[in-house]
Amino acid sequence: MNGKLDFKLYVITGENYHPGRSMLEVMEAALKGGADIVQLRDKDISKRDLLEKAKRLKDLTAKYNVPLIVNDHPDVALAIDADGVHLGQDDMPIAVARRIMGPDRIIGISTHRIEQAREAEQAGADYIGVGPVYATGTKPGRQPVTTAYVSEVAAEIRIPWVAIGGITPDNAFEVLNAGANRLCVVSAVVGSEDPEAVCRRFIALIEARDGSPNASVESKATGIFVTVNGRRSRTQASTLLELAEQYELQDRRVVAEMDGEFVPRRSWGEAPLRVGATVEFVHFVGGG
Amino acid sequence: MRHDRLVTERYSRQIRFAPIGQAGQRKLGDAGVLVVGAGALGASLAQHMVRSGAGFVRLVDRDYVELSNLHRQTLFDEEDARAALPKAVAAAAKLRRMNGGARIEALVADVGKRNAESLLMGVDLVLDGTDNAETRLLMSDACFAHGVPFVYGGVAGSSGMSAMLVPGKHVCLRCLLGETEASDTDGGAPTCDTIGVIAPAVELIAGLQAVEAIKWLTGNFHALRDTWVSADVWNFALKEWKLPPPRESCVHCGAGRLPERLHEAVGKPHAPSADWQVEEREPQPDEEKVVVLCGRDTVQLALRPALGLPEWEKRLSSRGCEITASNAYLIRALTAEGERIVVFSDGRSLIQGAGGVERAEEIYRSYLAEEEVPR
Repeated sequence: MNGKLDFKLYVITGENYHPGRSMLEVMEAALKGGADIVQLRDKDISKRDLLEKAKRLKDLTAKYNVPLIVNDHPDVALAIDADGVHLGQDDMPIAVARRIMGPDRIIGISTHRIEQAREAEQAGADYIGVGPVYATGTKPGRQPVTTAYVSEVAAEIRIPWVAIGGITPDNAFEVLNAGANRLCVVSAVVGSEDPEAVCRRFIALIEARDGSPNASVESKATGIFVTVNGRRSRTQASTLLELAEQYELQDRRVVAEMDGEFVPRRSWGEAPLRVGATVEFVHFVGGG
Repeated sequence: MRHDRLVTERYSRQIRFAPIGQAGQRKLGDAGVLVVGAGALGASLAQHMVRSGAGFVRLVDRDYVELSNLHRQTLFDEEDARAALPKAVAAAAKLRRMNGGARIEALVADVGKRNAESLLMGVDLVLDGTDNAETRLLMSDACFAHGVPFVYGGVAGSSGMSAMLVPGKHVCLRCLLGETEASDTDGGAPTCDTIGVIAPAVELIAGLQAVEAIKWLTGNFHALRDTWVSADVWNFALKEWKLPPPRESCVHCGAGRLPERLHEAVGKPHAPSADWQVEEREPQPDEEKVVVLCGRDTVQLALRPALGLPEWEKRLSSRGCEITASNAYLIRALTAEGERIVVFSDGRSLIQGAGGVERAEEIYRSYLAEEEVPR
């Protein structure tokens, strides 16, 4: 099907995170901020209400020319001419959903370990969700898969995949460094005061990472390769401070090492980034 | 001498460890250390110091023992939690039973600008058992001003970090971490309250700190790692980064005074640092200071005016609180709404379970202020 499915920032609705504001208002802000695929998820309402909501959201996403995916319900997705459906591991098998949805619509599925990812790829999923990377209120009680699973998928899975679960602008660099180049977010975006700004921040973080289609075109003329937290990436930064800024770490309490030596925070601006340098950023541990 | 024989017997296995020997053990016995914080790291550090034979241990902490501490704070037991004893006091009692030969001083106080330097009197080294960056930075500044090594340690989750910073030799903690963002609790860094903590991580880090301290106090300067170590006990990993030298332009480490013990190491005469008699002083909390204790839904507020604990107890009871603990150091009371108020004899109060600073201040006005504000 749709072999050219691609996106950077996948935002899922979560109305319980924004009491007092309407779903359409919040999702429009996310779309303005650069969300390039949207999913309607609401497990607590009747199918009739879901259908109504889906219709209105479809009008909105069409205005921004962004695909709309419906969670759990192929029939609702078809009824409102959504672009696809997203399944969980306990929902109908991909082959069955494919028969319902037809060859051209998108089918995505959540995976929590590499066997499920392989199986989804085999079964013809168009993309997979990889998570929850961190603990999340959206899926309470589910054990986080950690960035270890993200790295496994990065090494092996060839269909588009997106990291999900407790991802925020503060931990995004860890997920991206583990090999993700798409992020899926619920609460960090829809639960924020300013979903548009948060989306922009995510997009900047994703683009800053080597391998992102747009960023690599822009930076291929210049820039050097360095290894950041074990991952080789291209950067135009010339100092450690600029590199930290690229990952939006300048305001975090993060310590840094370059080529085996601790670089004092106060010296980041004067620490030149050597070609091939090995850099590690680590959160300062403050408990006692 | 009989006393010497007993000492030799007691520490025989440590003395047999060649790098320490009789000479190192004697140096340890002459040494004083300050342990800042008597929580998980602090309690473990104090235990290492007292058991290994450090002559003087000063312990300072602002908190009291609760049940939720017991899984990792190895000096305390259920009785301490029931009695709501201040951690410094409960720890000192246990430490005295471990080693009657050690001089132990316990201070129930908050560490601030006002007392950071005086806490260094008579100590050769500072062990960091605090739970926040602000106090660590203050102690690092004071240590670099007075030529006292600062042994940083921090834990959260299954990981931790440690580094021994020697004035005149290494960069200071303020240079390593940069400025504090006042508005931010710990700059988004994970803490025991956001991601929890497990005891083996605490013990590993306390062990890394303690061993550097013992090297220093026994004169084994060449064996110091001179590194920043970060470790994870769950997904096993251990990394070591070389510590940079002082930054010339820094007012703290740029002018850092090399500690006396290093003078000794390079052959200069040893100037005794043992100024044992610490002047008696009533620690007072910084005026007007509101401190949010790391994520435990606890707000610390200064008490005004200075009253004795019996008066506070009377006031709390008369305003409808149930007194749930009362000892020589603090009163703990339960408000009608279910928040906890802890009044310390050093002029601080902790408001627990208020859910925010504003509500904590409201509780203060209702239950502790001179003029009772009707609820």
